[in-house]
Amino acid sequence: MTLFQFDVGDRARKTGRLVGRVRDELVRALADKRLKERITQQGLAKKLGVHRSQINRQLSGEANLTLRSLADLAWAMNMDVVFELREPASPAGSNEPPETSTVGHAPAKILDGRRRMPSGAPASKAAPDDLP
Amino acid sequence: MSTIEDLVQRSAIAKIDVPLDVGEQPLRLLFGTPGFVDWLKCILEGIEPKIRLGDTTPAEQIDHLFHLFLTGRPLVPMRQFRFIRAEDNAVWELKTPDIRIFGWFLKRDCFVGVFGDWADQVKDHDLYRGYRIAIRRLRRELGVDDSLCVKGILPSDVISV
Repeated sequence: MTLFQFDVGDRARKTGRLVGRVRDELVRALADKRLKERITQQGLAKKLGVHRSQINRQLSGEANLTLRSLADLAWAMNMDVVFELREPASPAGSNEPPETSTVGHAPAKILDGRRRMPSGAPASKAAPDDLP
Repeated sequence: MSTIEDLVQRSAIAKIDVPLDVGEQPLRLLFGTPGFVDWLKCILEGIEPKIRLGDTTPAEQIDHLFHLFLTGRPLVPMRQFRFIRAEDNAVWELKTPDIRIFGWFLKRDCFVGVFGDWADQVKDHDLYRGYRIAIRRLRRELGVDDSLCVKGILPSDVISV
């Protein structure tokens, strides 16, 4: 069993997943609104006074999504944004990712898939600008 | 008749994981051919398209997509995945703003990546047909039959929610 771990490092993982999650949430909210209230990208664009292509590019990830544009989109959909920063939690009984193969029964041969920083150090270690 | 385990033991495909957060478990399976894994390594080295559209790096975009997929979260049809052509045993595409990944579903919720490329490169040069043909050829060479290839083309045929 050969296993490749695609590891971008803690910092990039947090960034990519947060940005992606915000965008996915907007897309899902709009899909829900379209079904229930027939709100469309065109309708949002009209309400916000922008071109529909701008809304589409923001939702597809092809244009930057600023905090202002996030708030604008939420307003246009009549939705509230919930945002919170928390200390990482690891409650007792939490599952941990498996380190053994789920296909076959042989031990997993793990390929090194950690992102390398320019210095050659793996990104999962704290990069200099991660430090306080 | 090949099985997934056969393909893995022959090193035709390797399992791909991303680090999961505490409390998360993999609910889908992701594999890649050796060539696809090599391409992922290049992405991890930091290669970038000529013009990046997304506000996250290609590596971050792929990590997010794989994380969504592996943890069993819903993917948006057309925006995040779609079939290339309506046919039995279709070739499928996973999408991020800057990346296109081509492969097929061995089973429902079990995807094999074969090619990865920049989105603008794929669109500018209309590479869909070429990748589709190359993947169909690869499946023949690997002896992949209907038992290891999802036949349907509905989103629910390949991804459970």
